[in-house]
Amino acid sequence: MTGILIAFVIALLVPLFVSKWRTSLLGLALQGVLLAAIAYRQRDVSISVSTAVTLLDLVVVRAMVMPAWLFVTLRRQNAPLRNDVIAPNLFSWAIALALVVVAFRTADVLVPAEGNEQSLVAVSSAAFLLGLFVLATARGTVSQVIGLMRVENAIALFELGTPSEHTSLAIRIGQTAIMLMSVGFCRWYLAGLARDTVTPLPVPSEETADL
Amino acid sequence: MRVAPLALVGFAAIQAAVAVLVAFTMSEGAVLAGGYVTVDATARLFLVMIDLIFLGIAGYVWTRARSSPELLKAATRFAALSVVFMAAANVVVLSSHLLAGWVALEVTTLAAAPLIIRPGAPSTRRASWRYFLFSSIGLGIALVGLMCLARSVESEGATPTFFLHELRDLAGSPPNLWRRIGLALVVFGYGTKLGLAPMYSWLPETYDEAPPAVTALLAAVQFNCALICLMRVLQVYRAGDRELVSTELLVIGLASMGVSTVSIIATRNFERLIAYASINHAGVIAIGLAIGKSASYGVMLYVVSNAFIKAILFLTAGKIKAHYGTKDTREVAGLIKDLPYSGLFLMVGTFALLGFPPFGSFLGELIILSGLVRAKQITVFVVFCTFIALSFIATGRTIFPMIWGEPKREVHWPRQSFLASFPKLAFLVALVAMGIYMPKPVNALFRAVAASLGAE
Repeated sequence: MTGILIAFVIALLVPLFVSKWRTSLLGLALQGVLLAAIAYRQRDVSISVSTAVTLLDLVVVRAMVMPAWLFVTLRRQNAPLRNDVIAPNLFSWAIALALVVVAFRTADVLVPAEGNEQSLVAVSSAAFLLGLFVLATARGTVSQVIGLMRVENAIALFELGTPSEHTSLAIRIGQTAIMLMSVGFCRWYLAGLARDTVTPLPVPSEETADL
Repeated sequence: MRVAPLALVGFAAIQAAVAVLVAFTMSEGAVLAGGYVTVDATARLFLVMIDLIFLGIAGYVWTRARSSPELLKAATRFAALSVVFMAAANVVVLSSHLLAGWVALEVTTLAAAPLIIRPGAPSTRRASWRYFLFSSIGLGIALVGLMCLARSVESEGATPTFFLHELRDLAGSPPNLWRRIGLALVVFGYGTKLGLAPMYSWLPETYDEAPPAVTALLAAVQFNCALICLMRVLQVYRAGDRELVSTELLVIGLASMGVSTVSIIATRNFERLIAYASINHAGVIAIGLAIGKSASYGVMLYVVSNAFIKAILFLTAGKIKAHYGTKDTREVAGLIKDLPYSGLFLMVGTFALLGFPPFGSFLGELIILSGLVRAKQITVFVVFCTFIALSFIATGRTIFPMIWGEPKREVHWPRQSFLASFPKLAFLVALVAMGIYMPKPVNALFRAVAASLGAE
């Protein structure tokens, strides 16, 4: 397994044990940087437009815009520093580690030949399962957003290991635009749901306002 | 701003006219735009269906918007976002590239999410968030599935592709592990968008909280967009082996029917009841797809019938909720006297929902059941019939007193205009026509789509 993938596993696991939203956002930013590093190493001699869009997605959207937007939103809300993405107990931590083991075992079956491809499948599977685990256990919106972004990064990592001749530039741009809009939506929901909690509005009794 | 709802009707009418023209004049299987667009039977059938339903919804919104300035503002917002939604929905239907279809389905989700929110009602924002979250996860899982399918092609030594016409040539080989995992993930991912168990919990909340026009859009249009994405994958990858993912489809189909039946028995909210019935329908469709072969024609009849049924029922439920100010079934009684049009639509819609003749849903369900027997799936047949019978009794017990019961309080209703009911009436005519007489060209479309799903 390469150093970048080892660093990716660390960026996946550490935020689970440190119950701070800042650490989670830092982990997401780091994942974006590492994804970009993997994409850069996989490029051909010259950088095509499609590769440039992929790098833009990974560096700008995932490593910078996503954590920055969420950071600003949470800071404005004076969100408490502590935020458990999974329950802080031995049982949850054991499940998280077990999921990593399951992912590596699955990769052994899917890609029998040892090497970079097997490691990539193993790490992306682990990232995907951990993202789903965060989503399955998260009750707060912040943790759910972090879980969703973890899943998105896991998919991006898996995509990097998939043959890319099939992806035309238009679709690549479409995927990047959707990612950017999804991050924007997450920020919008995060702000809106927090506002609703702070100043609950009465449910309108007049149902005629419905289309 | 005043012209927005009317402009929407104009846009929807032009779109529907183009869809009908495309469906019945273009040559079968035409591939356009460098292979990204196809006009095969599946595309033509779904194109006509979603665009006609959208025309009805646009008409409903226009009549609602005329009733108050507040609704006019909401209708303007609806008009703007629904145009984006429908443009993307049409791309999904016409797409001949699995990833392009996936991207367009994501766009429909992003366009629909803000529409669910009603200003001043925090519960609608929570519902919208759940919709967005589950959709993103479901579509994410489906994307991983598509990537696994690309890997399966590569592991066989061929160049990976997502173009349907290229995949048809490659997919005949025996399935490998990547293909099996990919198909299971695609079923699970798009199944989430269809509201299939186990990832169904977003659906009742969203359908309940969203404005009726938006619910109709999600239930009758977006549902079919997700279904066509799933069908495209199944059409290609199950061509060589009809048994592939049939167990997965059967299990999630039966599980969906099970959870929806229990929920229908328990609920006292008529909008939720229709939402749970939608989960039930998704389960029936999944079982029909699992069986394939002789059940395929029934599945297509069932799919199209249900799109019209859901549009009628959700729009009618919105009208009832607007007048009574409640969604509690115990508070609403004697609709046939109080709101004759809405009472009639609820009655006929419920009969169609429960699979009474002469509606297309009856024939569709019957064909799926006979397909189960032919496939020797007797256990599934028995469980299927049990769930259908239970949901039949529970729905009737809840809805029939709403229609024929004695009114519980004296109410004075504004006169119901024929114009406001016209879209639902048009849906109803289409629904009955499917059960009694289907014109030859339309029937040929149904048969062609069924054949692409494995009908003999």
